[in-house]
Amino acid sequence: MDILKFALRKLINGIPLILGVTFISFLLMVYFGPDKTYELLGKNPTAEEIAEIRHELGYDQPFFKRYAHYLKEMVTLDFGHSEATGEKVSSILKRTMPISLLVILPGFILGNVIAILLGLVAAWYRGTWVDKTIMVGSVIGMSISFLVVIIAFQILLSSSYGLGWFPVRGWEVHDIPSYIYYVTVPTLATVFVALGYNTRFYRAVLVEEMGKDHVRTARAFGAPPRSIMLKGVLKNAMVPIITRIMFSIPLVVVSGSLLIESYFGIPGVGKVTFDAITGGDQPILKAIVGLTAVLFVLVLIATDILYRVFDPRVELK
Amino acid sequence: MHRRTTFRIARHTVELMLLALLLTACYGSGDESAQDKVINTVSTVDANGFKTYKHSMDGTPTTLDPVQAATVYSNTTILNIFDTLYSYKYLKRPYEIKPNLATAMPEVSDDGLTYTIHIKPGVYFHDDPSFPEGKGREVTADDFVYSIKRHFDPKSRSQGAWLWSGKIVGLDEWKKAGSDYSQEIEGLKALDRYTIQIKLKKPYPQLIYSLAMGFSSIVPKEAVAHYGKEFGIHPVGSGPFILKSFDTSRAILDKNPNFRQEPLDIYAEGYDEAKHGFTGIKALHGKSPPFVDRIIINYIHETAARWNSFTKGNEIQYTSVPKEQQNSVLASIDPLTLQPWIEKNFHHLFGMEAGFVYSGFNMDDPTFGYTGDLNKDAMNKALRCAIRKAFNWDQRNKAFYFGLGTVFPGVITPAVPEYDPDMSKESITLDIEGAKKLLADAGWNVDNLPTLEYHTSGGITYRQFFEQFRGFLKKIGYPVDKVKFVPYPTFGEFNKALKNRETPYFSLGWGLDYPDAENTLQLFYGPNESPGSNNFNYKNPAFDALFEKARIMQPGPERTAAYRKLNQMVVDDCVVISGLSRNRIYLWHKNVIMLPDREILGGFFMRYVDVK
Repeated sequence: MDILKFALRKLINGIPLILGVTFISFLLMVYFGPDKTYELLGKNPTAEEIAEIRHELGYDQPFFKRYAHYLKEMVTLDFGHSEATGEKVSSILKRTMPISLLVILPGFILGNVIAILLGLVAAWYRGTWVDKTIMVGSVIGMSISFLVVIIAFQILLSSSYGLGWFPVRGWEVHDIPSYIYYVTVPTLATVFVALGYNTRFYRAVLVEEMGKDHVRTARAFGAPPRSIMLKGVLKNAMVPIITRIMFSIPLVVVSGSLLIESYFGIPGVGKVTFDAITGGDQPILKAIVGLTAVLFVLVLIATDILYRVFDPRVELK
Repeated sequence: MHRRTTFRIARHTVELMLLALLLTACYGSGDESAQDKVINTVSTVDANGFKTYKHSMDGTPTTLDPVQAATVYSNTTILNIFDTLYSYKYLKRPYEIKPNLATAMPEVSDDGLTYTIHIKPGVYFHDDPSFPEGKGREVTADDFVYSIKRHFDPKSRSQGAWLWSGKIVGLDEWKKAGSDYSQEIEGLKALDRYTIQIKLKKPYPQLIYSLAMGFSSIVPKEAVAHYGKEFGIHPVGSGPFILKSFDTSRAILDKNPNFRQEPLDIYAEGYDEAKHGFTGIKALHGKSPPFVDRIIINYIHETAARWNSFTKGNEIQYTSVPKEQQNSVLASIDPLTLQPWIEKNFHHLFGMEAGFVYSGFNMDDPTFGYTGDLNKDAMNKALRCAIRKAFNWDQRNKAFYFGLGTVFPGVITPAVPEYDPDMSKESITLDIEGAKKLLADAGWNVDNLPTLEYHTSGGITYRQFFEQFRGFLKKIGYPVDKVKFVPYPTFGEFNKALKNRETPYFSLGWGLDYPDAENTLQLFYGPNESPGSNNFNYKNPAFDALFEKARIMQPGPERTAAYRKLNQMVVDDCVVISGLSRNRIYLWHKNVIMLPDREILGGFFMRYVDVK
């Protein structure tokens, strides 16, 4: 019951945050975003035709009227139609977000799980060659551009110049084997890069925990390494770990991964978002920004609750 | 110490492994390893004889609604879903128009103002839920009238209305009166179920070309009403293919099983054994298209992904050669030859674009254009001409187009019949000394030369264009700090600045809409000034008068002479630095029978594609 009350209170407190984010984003969209009018013009437009398009796009409406309309869209979850394709925004998101999730989720999970394990190993063997090797690997993962990693994996695993085991591009997923066939290379590329950043972060968190009194005491009592690392170190380091993972979720869900989707020809939400930003497709942008803000509020609530699960000293206030 | 050594070894091992990994990747895609490469081309005909052709394009259409068929990407897909009254002969070059849904070429009145067009009976729209019981109904003349009217309905957000605006009797008035579809238009009528009549305000010889463009595709009003704004993703036409699915990465088109049976006469289409024998098209003579059951058009911006997919053997079957692969594809530029492994594995075609790239001055801006002061105007003209003389087309061509582009003087491109190969090359000849003399004679020096703002879309290539251009100007003594780069984040923003006359100097490309020099000369017609297509805001009464006379002439020597005179005027006034038509190399797998074209013919060729 406490948790429910807490969640509701946080949800209400999150409303000003959502309003603030949407207001600033909308302000930027309207006054600094691309003007769609000039994308939609024919080759020999007249001033009258330009005015017609601006009217059709609603650009001739006062700012606050447009913002109020945006808020109404947020409440009703009806963001209208894309200015570029004419498709309903809700249909676009319904179609593309699950694809992005399917593409990114394995990499996201593996990237975090493997990084935590590597972090634990590196922390346990800190200062030794094992630790240093893992850290060198992390730095390599962090140093190489994601784009280079994608192209290298694509050539090595998918193209006729390499092994050619997987498709260069495409997304014809209808069962588990086809899913594995299409998702493997994007996942490997994602994990390769994610491991760099994640392992370094998790190692730092875990090493700090290793130096605490309770760990030293457990060691002095002769507790086995696995027990020390999992119960004494990992569990106590969960707060920063949860924070990192949870705050990545909204971006994973809403933004997708533009580079992965573009290079592997995957029709996900990342590409849709990018096109909307560069093309000034405001209905899509409004939906993405609004949903991201809402998701962040929900993640904030969930994160606080999870803190409590892992650390009973945390109070839900 | 021991641990440190071990660590160092481990670190170096990891680094070396990674380096080897990347080197293998890079080496694998390089030219040397590929010389003996054999691409294991996989047949796209399945065990049941179902044929699939996998095409690729370097951009994505946003919508498949014909009223917004403004890009080559949308047009290519649209022309396979919808019917147009006319199309182009598959193989004939220069391009030649032919009837498509029309039964014959139009009957034109003696004064050139009335066109009567008969359409084929018994042609049906694709089956779709928007029709009663889901069965497509017959296409009639009324559908054509409705489809053109849509361009003049503001709700449609047409990008093609300019083709007919001010030209068809009563059409603009219909729009002004509120675009009421129940109202008849005097100049756009269905005389009966299969006869269309178009009445023009003045002769418009280019009308026939406009009826072969994606913009004039015939749509059923039931589907437009049913899908509303989503018609662009649920297009319903009567063309050779039916859209199965469409997203940002590809469109899947399935064969229209009810498409009219019209056997292909390759000789009427311009077949020439010497030119086309290698394609295998001869085997299709007498058969009715479409020949494949499915077309998958993959939209791939990323050149590395497109190339890897093409050379895989079982993915896309067609690509234009990306710039970064030209070294591994070309054996020599002059003469143009390909590497043996390319010859061995693929069919190819060297194709010149119908349009061109150019840079120009905004004549409405006193920096380089009109000032109202005759002396200053003369100085500005000298300055424009000097900048043009400093432009090194040879270097531009080599640095950015592998020396494959065709550089030509003026704005009449080599793709149109009015092109004059004997025109003086002075306007495209580098002349540093001449430029310096022009500047000095006109009174320009390093102190009074104006700041040149180079307006363009953002991006690395555009920055490189600018840096090269600044280098050209440096050679004629133009201070480097007076040549400034003004990039825009998107083409829309750049276009906005152009239309608002905020770009004293700009670089652009123009894709030809139809094979008639009027299409590029209208870029300099005074009444088309910004926000119209005349971004130069060039105003020359002599040009305008002659253009008005020439544009309504029927094709012939008199019109060609007038067009060439107009071209010369633009060159003499140093309004534009032009031009270069890019040459592209197209490759396709040897199990595909076709002759691809992304220019004027556009998507029309896909109905004739076959696979083995």
